[in-house]
Amino acid sequence: MALRLVNYSTLTDETLIRLIVRSQPDALSVLYDRYSRLVFSLALNIVGDRATAEEITLDVFTRIWEKAATYQPDQAKVSTWLTRITRNRSIDVLRKHSSRPEWHSVSWANVTDEAMPNHHNPEDITELAVQQARVRAAMAQLPEEQQQALALAYFKGYSHRQIAEILDQPLGTVKTRIRLAVQKLRQILQDE
Amino acid sequence: MSAEEHVFDLLPSYALDCLDEDETILVSEHLAVCVDCRAELSACQFTVDQLALAQPETVPPPELKTRLMERIQPAPSTDQARLSWRDAFAIFLRHTAPAWGAAGLLLLLVLGVSNIWLWQRVNQQEESQSDIMRTVALSGTEVIPDASGLIVISLDGEHGTLVVDGLPPLDESHQYQLWLIDDGQRQSGGVFSVDQEGYGALWVSSPKPLSDYSAVGITIEPAGGSPGPTGDRVLGGSL
Repeated sequence: MALRLVNYSTLTDETLIRLIVRSQPDALSVLYDRYSRLVFSLALNIVGDRATAEEITLDVFTRIWEKAATYQPDQAKVSTWLTRITRNRSIDVLRKHSSRPEWHSVSWANVTDEAMPNHHNPEDITELAVQQARVRAAMAQLPEEQQQALALAYFKGYSHRQIAEILDQPLGTVKTRIRLAVQKLRQILQDE
Repeated sequence: MSAEEHVFDLLPSYALDCLDEDETILVSEHLAVCVDCRAELSACQFTVDQLALAQPETVPPPELKTRLMERIQPAPSTDQARLSWRDAFAIFLRHTAPAWGAAGLLLLLVLGVSNIWLWQRVNQQEESQSDIMRTVALSGTEVIPDASGLIVISLDGEHGTLVVDGLPPLDESHQYQLWLIDDGQRQSGGVFSVDQEGYGALWVSSPKPLSDYSAVGITIEPAGGSPGPTGDRVLGGSL
C-alpha cells in the first residue's frame, strides 16, 4: 500500500528497474517517459523507417518488462543498458531485412540542437540533457570525415571493409579515422 | 598473441563491433590474457556508449505508449469471460440449491479428507528431496532471452551440476564459461560447450563451497576459458 503514495517520477532509474521486477506497470510507464525518445530515435536513425522503429521501441520496453531481473547495475547505467539493447536489436533488424538506407542519411545531431523538453516531468531530462550537450559538443570537434566513418559504424553496423567501399577510401584510412574519432571523443569527455 | 603484444589500436573498433571476423577473434583471444587491454576496452566501450546521446532526436508518437501498456497488461476479455461463466454457474446453483445441498456437503467432506492426505504426501516428498539437494534456476539475459539453466547443489553446498538449454552452439574457438560471484569477485566454475540442440552440462568445480557464492553468470569466452569474463553474458542467477 505504501508504494501507491510514492511519486514514481522522482525515483532513480535503478529503483524503477527493481519495481519493474516486481511487475509494477507504473514504474515501466515512468521509465518509458524518460527514455522512449532516446530509444525511438536510435532505432529510427539505424533502420530509417518509422513503423519499424516503433516496433523496435515496443520490443525493447517489453523486454525490459520481462527481463528486468537480468539488469546488472555494476555493468552499466540503465540508459546505457537500454541503448545497447536498442542498437543490437535495430542492427539485427537492419541486417535481416537488408534494407540499409543510403549512407548520406546518417548523421549526428548539430551541436546547437537542444534536448527537447519532457512534457511528463521537465526535471527528469535535466541530467540527460547535460550529457547530450557534452557529447554533441565533443562530436562537433571531430573532423567531418571522422564523424562520417563513425556514424556508419555506429548507426549501420558496417565493418571497416564495408565503410571503405561506401566512402571509396583505402581500408587503412577508414580504420585510422574510426580509431582517432573514438580516441579523441574519449579524451574530450574525460578532460571535461 | 602474447600479453606483451597489445591490441590497443583495434579496441575502439572492437567496442563498435566493426572489426572483421578474424580481427574480432584475435582481439577476443588477446583480451582473455591481457588486463591492460581489458581496461582500455572498458574506456573505449564507455565512449561508444555515449554516442547515442549525439544522435538527432525524434519524438515517438503518443499512441506508442498506450500500445506498450496494453501489451504488458493481461487482456481484460479473459476476465470478463470468466465472470460471465461464474455468473451463469451461480444462477444455476441458486435454481437447483435444494437438490444439490446434501450431495454438496458429502462432496466437500470427501474433498477435504483427500486434500489433507495429498498435502501430507507432498510434504513428505519435499522433505526427502531437500535432505539431498537444492536447485537454482538461471535465466537468459537480453543477449539470449530464451536460454535457461539450472544448478543442482548438494545440501552441504560442496558440489554442483550445471544444466543449460537453449544456448546456441559456438564455433570451435569459443566456449561458454561459468562464473561464481562473491562480493563482486568472479571465479571460474568451468568451461563447457553445448550440442546442436543447445543442451549442455557441467560438473561445477570451485575452490570453496558453492553456498559461499551469491550469484552465478555464464559468458561466451575464447575456447579454454578466460581469467575473467570478457564476452557477452548469456545466463545468470542468484544463489
